[in-house]
Amino acid sequence: MDTLFDRIRAQGHWIVFLLLEVASLVLLFRFNAYQGSVWTTQANEVAGRVLDGQQRIIAYTHLGKLNQQLTETNLELQTENDVLRHRLAALEHDSSLTERVLAEQLANIQRIPAQVINNSIRERENYITINRGSADGVKNEMGVVCGTGVVGIVCQTGKHYAIVLPVLNSRSSISCRLHDTEYFGYMKWNGGNPLRAFIDDIPRHAKIRVGETVETSGYSNVFPAGIFVGKVKRILNSDDGLSYKLEIGLSTDFARLRDVSVINYSNYPEDAEKSDSLEKEVRP
Amino acid sequence: MIVVLFRRLVHALLLLALQVLVCNHIHLMGYATPMPYVLFLVWLPLNANRIGNMLWAFLLGLAIDIFSNTPGEAAAALTLTAFVQWPLLRAMAPKDSIEDMVPTYKTMGRWNHIRYIFILTLVHHTAFFLLESFSFFHLTALGISFGGSLALSLLLMLTFETLRHGK
Repeated sequence: MDTLFDRIRAQGHWIVFLLLEVASLVLLFRFNAYQGSVWTTQANEVAGRVLDGQQRIIAYTHLGKLNQQLTETNLELQTENDVLRHRLAALEHDSSLTERVLAEQLANIQRIPAQVINNSIRERENYITINRGSADGVKNEMGVVCGTGVVGIVCQTGKHYAIVLPVLNSRSSISCRLHDTEYFGYMKWNGGNPLRAFIDDIPRHAKIRVGETVETSGYSNVFPAGIFVGKVKRILNSDDGLSYKLEIGLSTDFARLRDVSVINYSNYPEDAEKSDSLEKEVRP
Repeated sequence: MIVVLFRRLVHALLLLALQVLVCNHIHLMGYATPMPYVLFLVWLPLNANRIGNMLWAFLLGLAIDIFSNTPGEAAAALTLTAFVQWPLLRAMAPKDSIEDMVPTYKTMGRWNHIRYIFILTLVHHTAFFLLESFSFFHLTALGISFGGSLALSLLLMLTFETLRHGK
């Protein structure tokens, strides 16, 4: 008997080791279904924290969908707002034919929701990749907008992805106008601050105030009129001193871009396409 | 005796706080979380009781588990490490060490001490991530977490040891 006890004492560390490991493994494998006994409170707290984390993750994924919906609603409301504004203007004075045509065009714009999967703002020529391509109906030269305003123009289309030339690219040139006075110009970006762009060639006689809204002009085939671009931040002199140069505070934060919509504005009358091709011929 | 117990309790509580309040919030590149509480075993003297060591390790591991939602994982891994630590220290300690030698750079020799810490950490992390693979198995992700955590833990522990005992 003594030798047995000696043996147990000599091998005691093995027994303790195995007991402790078994206890740990029991805890590990019964974690999910563990209830009752002394550990209840801790186990509940642990489970509670896990569930809380899970809930937060689920809520977060739903935020993406919510954001998408808001983007679409926003675009819808913006275009609707513009249609209504033009209808109102048409009622107030003798409506011209072009105004009515414009209003009708705005009513049937098709949108393709997309998500940004790659983005840069640090370069001088930034590009955005979106997860929709020709298979979804995206074509070159379509406009891209998000909930806060204009994003850019599709410049290359793959089957399932497309590359967008955003406002933040020195090659970008988007036709814009001032909301109140309707003076228009091309918005350019020349690197640096991703929240600032410029509109050149605003005539000297234009009465512009700081804070005025800038929106798309609708003169090009890409964007319908009235989509928010930003606000006038400063009024500067152009390089030749003959006209104003407006510094625009962009409404879209490109660093946080996620949900966008591609605008299918091809319901434009056919002669518009002709005029577009003409324009291309004239302007190299 | 009481002093030794008290000192060990302080060590355990400090490492627990470090792990729960700081290290559990570090997820370097989404994967690597340092686990420097293995230091508790490094600080055990040569003549410490083997069974006592394992009990301490188990309790510290359990406390960490309760705070980090990993029931049993740290406890099992740290108990195993404590089980290995006892013969390992005997094999690696210089022959002329005093009876209650505490491993440091000075008492163990510099590279020997680093090797000692490395082996203990390796044992702990291997066990920990093997157990982790029961609840989450994705080989590359697991491998990256293992390597990243091991490197981070070692970096933290060696820095700590250097600050504590000098070169």
